[in-house]
Amino acid sequence: MFAKIKYYVEQSWVLMVAAIAFGTLLAITDAAWKPRIEQNAVNRFTELAGRLLPNAIRFESATSEPLTIDIGGKSVPVDVKRGLNAAGQTVGWAFVCTGSGFADKIQLVAAVDAAFETLAGFRVLSSNETPGFGDKINITPDEGGFFQPQFVGAPVGSLTLVKTGDPQDINDRIVAISGATVSSQAVVDTFNAYLVPLRETLAAEGLLP
Amino acid sequence: MAEQRLQKTFTAGLWQNNPVLRLLLGMCPVLAVTAALKPALTMGLSVIFVLTCSNVVVSLMKHLLKPHLRILMFTLTISTFVTIADLYLRAFQPEMSAALGPYIPLIIVNCIIIGRAEACASKSPLMVSLVDALGMGAGFTLTLCALAAVRELLSTGKLFEITVMPSWFMPWAAMGMPVGAFVTLGLMLAGVNLITRKT
Repeated sequence: MFAKIKYYVEQSWVLMVAAIAFGTLLAITDAAWKPRIEQNAVNRFTELAGRLLPNAIRFESATSEPLTIDIGGKSVPVDVKRGLNAAGQTVGWAFVCTGSGFADKIQLVAAVDAAFETLAGFRVLSSNETPGFGDKINITPDEGGFFQPQFVGAPVGSLTLVKTGDPQDINDRIVAISGATVSSQAVVDTFNAYLVPLRETLAAEGLLP
Repeated sequence: MAEQRLQKTFTAGLWQNNPVLRLLLGMCPVLAVTAALKPALTMGLSVIFVLTCSNVVVSLMKHLLKPHLRILMFTLTISTFVTIADLYLRAFQPEMSAALGPYIPLIIVNCIIIGRAEACASKSPLMVSLVDALGMGAGFTLTLCALAAVRELLSTGKLFEITVMPSWFMPWAAMGMPVGAFVTLGLMLAGVNLITRKT
């Protein structure tokens, strides 16, 4: 028995020592850089949400624990942030939502007004959509994009993607990007999956006016 | 003599044994992250870091490696340094980290790294392993950047996101897509084969 243990230790001691050494190195690295990584995520969210809710000077979580909504039979946690102005009043709500794009997941930062009745727009947090086509969902209103502005002022409810129409008309009909119907549909589907369940959950928590 | 050997080892990675153009290794990042110069350069520098660290560590413990645990040790070493590179980018270059997506963690399965650990570092002295890593890494990075420069220039008219083409230039969107990577790489390989043909 002892001889067997000795044999295994002799065969694997380098691996065990290396695993402990590398594990320690990774633990130290992670501990050193984790606060910065977390702060980067907060800064990115605040930057994008701040563009959608320009009157908000800070964002804070609406609830101590993320809200849970049902999407396609799965419970999805959503950290809804309250946008507050200088007087401490709620000027809107912002959250990260995720949908399935053409090639990969699309992560959006979405914002709605204080009453959770109309959208304040969205920005793309991350996506790997096709360059020149699907990645046009990333083009902001400032950069001349026509897709993102259609969501500013759109009602919180079921949105419909259409292939033709006037993108200047702000309603529940969103005109798709030509050649990027899948990416356009992905954004619309993401909003349809999140908006109404989130409004109902916030209302149930007594957070909506 | 030793100096000459080191010099030969370094230059081999740049041309005779260039990992992309001669050995056709590491094709995944070559095709995936060369739509623009910045991500290509970041990927190249990350590979240099991982390759150098793994070669040095493998070379230092080459006498302790048991044959049947060799690959396991290589993988453990490589994944440690890839994780450090990934954490560094997430902490200090968050936008680039997001742009590169899964391709930094995927360095773990890059054949160049494990290939050099097996072919060179596990059999060579420390200095040779170090110089081999730097040469191979530099060869990989230069090739990535050359490919990315062609694609970024033709697909956007820019280099490092700075416009360099005249206003009449019509961007060629296909070059920013996967087809552009395959076509450009194919032409580069054809060019290299033409230069190195022995007839």
